[in-house]
Amino acid sequence: MKITEVEALSNEDLENLGLEWHTDIDDTPYISNEIIEVTEDEAQRYYDAANELYDMYVEAGQYVIDNDLFFELGIPFNLVEAIKMSWEEEVHWHLYGRFDFAGGLDGKPIKLLEFNADTPTMLYESAIIQWALLKKNGFDESMQFNSLYESLSDNFKRIITLGDDISNFDFVYEGWKILFSSIQGSIEEERSVKLLEVIAREAGFNTSFCYAHEAQLDEHNGLSFNGDNYEFWFKLIPWESIAVDEPDLAMLITTMIRNKNTIFLNPAYTLMFQSKRMMKILWDLFPNHPLLLENSYEMLDKKQVKKHAFGREGESVSILSSSGEILTKSNGNYENYPELYQEFAELNSHNGSFYQANVFYAYEACALGFRKGGEILNNMSKFVSHRII
Amino acid sequence: MINKKFLNKIGDSRIAGIFSKTGLGLVAVLAIVGCNGGENQNSSSSGLEQATKNGAIVTIEEQADGSYKILEETPSSSTRVILREQNGNERILTQEEIDKIIQEESKKIDSGTSQLTNPTGAGLSLGETILASAAGAILGSWIGSKLFNNQNYQSQQRTSYKTPQAYERSQNSFNRNNATNAGRSGFYSPNNNTPNTTNTQNRQNNSNTYGG
Repeated sequence: MKITEVEALSNEDLENLGLEWHTDIDDTPYISNEIIEVTEDEAQRYYDAANELYDMYVEAGQYVIDNDLFFELGIPFNLVEAIKMSWEEEVHWHLYGRFDFAGGLDGKPIKLLEFNADTPTMLYESAIIQWALLKKNGFDESMQFNSLYESLSDNFKRIITLGDDISNFDFVYEGWKILFSSIQGSIEEERSVKLLEVIAREAGFNTSFCYAHEAQLDEHNGLSFNGDNYEFWFKLIPWESIAVDEPDLAMLITTMIRNKNTIFLNPAYTLMFQSKRMMKILWDLFPNHPLLLENSYEMLDKKQVKKHAFGREGESVSILSSSGEILTKSNGNYENYPELYQEFAELNSHNGSFYQANVFYAYEACALGFRKGGEILNNMSKFVSHRII
Repeated sequence: MINKKFLNKIGDSRIAGIFSKTGLGLVAVLAIVGCNGGENQNSSSSGLEQATKNGAIVTIEEQADGSYKILEETPSSSTRVILREQNGNERILTQEEIDKIIQEESKKIDSGTSQLTNPTGAGLSLGETILASAAGAILGSWIGSKLFNNQNYQSQQRTSYKTPQAYERSQNSFNRNNATNAGRSGFYSPNNNTPNTTNTQNRQNNSNTYGG
């Protein structure tokens, strides 16, 4: 890996950019001052990989529905109907997701680690911060695999135009409004949601923001806030959390989808993609595919990683030897979800640190970013920018 | 040929303009930091919009000083104005009465003497009150263009209700056809154990984050 250390964005720069969560709880900077140098071919391969994998996920999604494999994916029963309805009707448009990859640099093959299809963060960092770092250091800021802002804007328009062509958006848009919500208490999540709101508004939508608990949901009359009705609700709340923590909400949402008065973003079907157990389905459908690692619901006989269907932030992950011995383990709260065993893949590494590539997807692959940390990346990982050389 | 579609486009896009205004151009920010929903311009008109599509029954009460207030309004398939006079009589205004009243109001708007568009603080006349109601949006729709986008009208419209509760009830009744089902909110209410979040300089522990 080729890495250049550059002048960091100061905390003041970052705060001016709206990124206030710039320091980790151990007082180290969250935004690295490193820039990873990526060749155009390497960037192209990340782009192609994400696009190809998304098509594979769509095929696998249909397979799950046709064969009723929700239980296998660890999906709570009280969201199955919502998933099916959102899958069948095109208006439930997938706004964005993020693929996490091992490899892709130094000639190492790209391998899918997981797909954060429902509530990915790192949006702000990928869309704006890494761009600003190039600009601050006098690099050509257009040499970055990063059309996230523009791609999201286009994809917002597609939730109305429902297809590749968005040129008729102004003609067909009838004023349908999007309400954006995060759970109160996390500035990182709130800002990520507000960035999405800004992009949607620039795209031409009427929008508003409220905290999740302020939104009013009614099975007959849809979603409202402050007396105004909204046709779309973007909520940065994982579907599986809704199913388990707020089962009444899951039921209400299902009814609202059935009554066709509200569309929820990201759609409920993204929970199928979000389940790490989906990668075993992919392996069944596309055995030995070069972008996939071997995945199984049973322990493998090679060095492997054990994780759980809906784990987050690197919690409840173990690296196991071929005989099942624990080599490294992270604690966490996700062990109640069914497990997935994934063939171990070496991350890109430099000076003893590991770098995971993240590729955003919004109708097509649209931005690359990296996270840096130990063998198991957790919430203390750093965001690392890149430039194309 | 290599597909370069993925390459950064920020340099060419609208946000370049936003960014480039100040050197490093740290400004997308303004939009982001300042977007607390305060720009919602349609907040007072949704009841009106609803009523325009459907219909409304409005009850107007004559006040002791001879002005009028909206007592109640409910959505309906037809549109009626019920007048409760000072002496306690209650009657439905005829179409002729309404047409005449609204024509007079239209002239007042044109000449700048309507309380709706040029408020002096005085109470509203019967005609002004009708126009301020949801029923007025239907009955007076032919003068809507000069009325409904007027800021004074929008604020007067709110004060034309007898009580804040009457206003809320009215808004709510148009937003919810089924009055017995009030909908629900309060999911994911922040509980009292949530760590103090005033220190936003640090990333949070993952125990209360939901993104990934």
